Amino acid sequence: MRVSLIMKFAVRTLGRSKRRTLLSAIGIGVGCAVALFITAFMRSGTEMRIQAIADSGFGHLRIAPSGWMKSRENKLRLSDWHAELQAARSMDGVRVAAPHARTTALLAFGTRVTGVEMLGVDPPAEEKLNRLIGAVQEGRYLRPGDRDVTVIGNAIAERLEVELEDDLFLTVVCEDGNMEYAMLRIVGIVNTGSRDIDASICHVALGDLERLTGLHGAGEITITLEDPSKIDQMAAQLSDQIGGRNEVLTWREIQPGQGADSASDKAFMNLFIGIVGVVVILGIASAQLTAILERKREFAVLMALGMKGFQIVRLVLLEAVALGLLGAAAGLALVTPLLYYTDTKGIDFGSALGGDMAVSGVLFDFVMYTQMGLWMIPYALSVALISTLIAALYPAWFAMKTDPTSALSLREA
Amino acid sequence: MENTLVEATDVKKDFYTGKITVNALRGLDLNVHKGDFLSIVGPSGSGKTTLLNLIGALDVATSGEVKVFGKDLSSLSRRKRADLRLKSLGFVFQAYNLVPVLTALENVEFVLELQGVGKERRERAQAVLEDLSLGELGDRRPNELSGGQQQRVAVARAVASRPRLVLADEPTANLDSENAKTLLEMMRYLRDEHDMTFVFSTHDPLVVSYASRVVTLRDGRVVSDEQKNSIAEDDEATVH
Repeated sequence: MRVSLIMKFAVRTLGRSKRRTLLSAIGIGVGCAVALFITAFMRSGTEMRIQAIADSGFGHLRIAPSGWMKSRENKLRLSDWHAELQAARSMDGVRVAAPHARTTALLAFGTRVTGVEMLGVDPPAEEKLNRLIGAVQEGRYLRPGDRDVTVIGNAIAERLEVELEDDLFLTVVCEDGNMEYAMLRIVGIVNTGSRDIDASICHVALGDLERLTGLHGAGEITITLEDPSKIDQMAAQLSDQIGGRNEVLTWREIQPGQGADSASDKAFMNLFIGIVGVVVILGIASAQLTAILERKREFAVLMALGMKGFQIVRLVLLEAVALGLLGAAAGLALVTPLLYYTDTKGIDFGSALGGDMAVSGVLFDFVMYTQMGLWMIPYALSVALISTLIAALYPAWFAMKTDPTSALSLREA
Repeated sequence: MENTLVEATDVKKDFYTGKITVNALRGLDLNVHKGDFLSIVGPSGSGKTTLLNLIGALDVATSGEVKVFGKDLSSLSRRKRADLRLKSLGFVFQAYNLVPVLTALENVEFVLELQGVGKERRERAQAVLEDLSLGELGDRRPNELSGGQQQRVAVARAVASRPRLVLADEPTANLDSENAKTLLEMMRYLRDEHDMTFVFSTHDPLVVSYASRVVTLRDGRVVSDEQKNSIAEDDEATVH
């Protein structure tokens, strides 16, 4: 197949001023590399956020009683929770489905008292679901058949000055409004490294919580998925599966603060990419326009030979495409080593942030990763080609509008 | 008249520079006939370049009528004028103006590509170069050619689409007399063998000596128009 001469013309034009082409390609490449890095960071960041939420016991999805979204009332219980649990566990793509019930409670030891949100769990399911309980520092986690025992966070233990095997005095408000009292023995103390989270962990067996509150059943079924990218699709399927008895919520609805953070992070990053894009576009447009001005006579000659306006535009845009391809290659070359490092080793924000990275009960990793992949190639090509084509529009129009008589005036000066 | 390729009647062309109006052509009348080897001479500012611009459909007259191949150029759109240049007119410039990133062959081929010639365009371009004894220069870029060679390739490019009329602005201005002579021989060969008509603007007595007709301009008007026998008409020299 013979390459059209206009294509050769466009490609070879890049070789005319190698320095300018190189600088332009590096400019596009840097812009492309910044966009790639931010996007790689954002893609991984969103995934890590979703995973952190899921691993912190909130799951990817939740089956909640109808009306819970509005009231967020812990007293609400699921209709036919055994059926819902069965339905969730039978679905392909569901990794874990764990029943939960919550109530507020007062824990006391001696003269010391603290308020907590007590979580009733199914121990085997919870162990698969909740990464935080892997951080049991002393003792053990709950086991099937456990009764009147609890696992608490380290911060609660410190506040109450309790140790393993101590008995906590528990006060809860029952369904009928009366107070219910019980003694709970501490069988495990969790230390996640986050004081906020360790001050909120108080797990008991689901049966204990039912008995204490007089509210039967689970208040929610928390679900994690094999493939978190299918959250919305699985939510719809699960919703169909369970009918209208209860409602299916995604992590964004369960943790609206995290959802908003994620959206605002994305918006900020996109804005940043946009600003970088505009700067690159203006830089390339300026360089292209200078090149076009230098070539006014050439365009006049081409017009004299019979080249039409649209063909001039096509030539300039093809030059932009060729430059864009070079820029995309430069961008990939620049960013790939950095992305490889951050994809495999990550960036450790631990020393920069200090303390812990817990927000709204979600424990985040200190080490943030980026996400490399084949997506980078079409992404780099799109960014580079779109920006160079936009940048070339005005120079192309300018070239098309060349007045051959004034640019050439047939007689050479 | 069928043999009249260009009819310029009472042509005026004004240029405006701020508040100053320059009357480049002031009621010029000129016909160009098929087979002419026509030199337009005159002092600087007499309107030679403006006239070539108008005949070449690169510009339009302020008033009067310029008909090329029977078409009134003022009635043609920008696009149709481009089509006319592409298909029926050839241009040769003083400074050659070959596309620097294309080889000699590709420069010739480029015009054919613009015309929409398909697969055979390379063979046709090669044939044009061979016809003008430039075949061995095909692979060279303009910066690898001498001035004379570049101008001959520029002529090859101008005639690649077999135009009926070739306009040349000071084509020999940058050439020594030997190269100028070779170029003029080539152009005369094209006129004789390929029925092309040539119009030159020039100051070069050598070009005038080759011309079959000399039109003199002064102050935007034709002041003389004489048919003559080219002194080189009987020369045996050819491009072959």
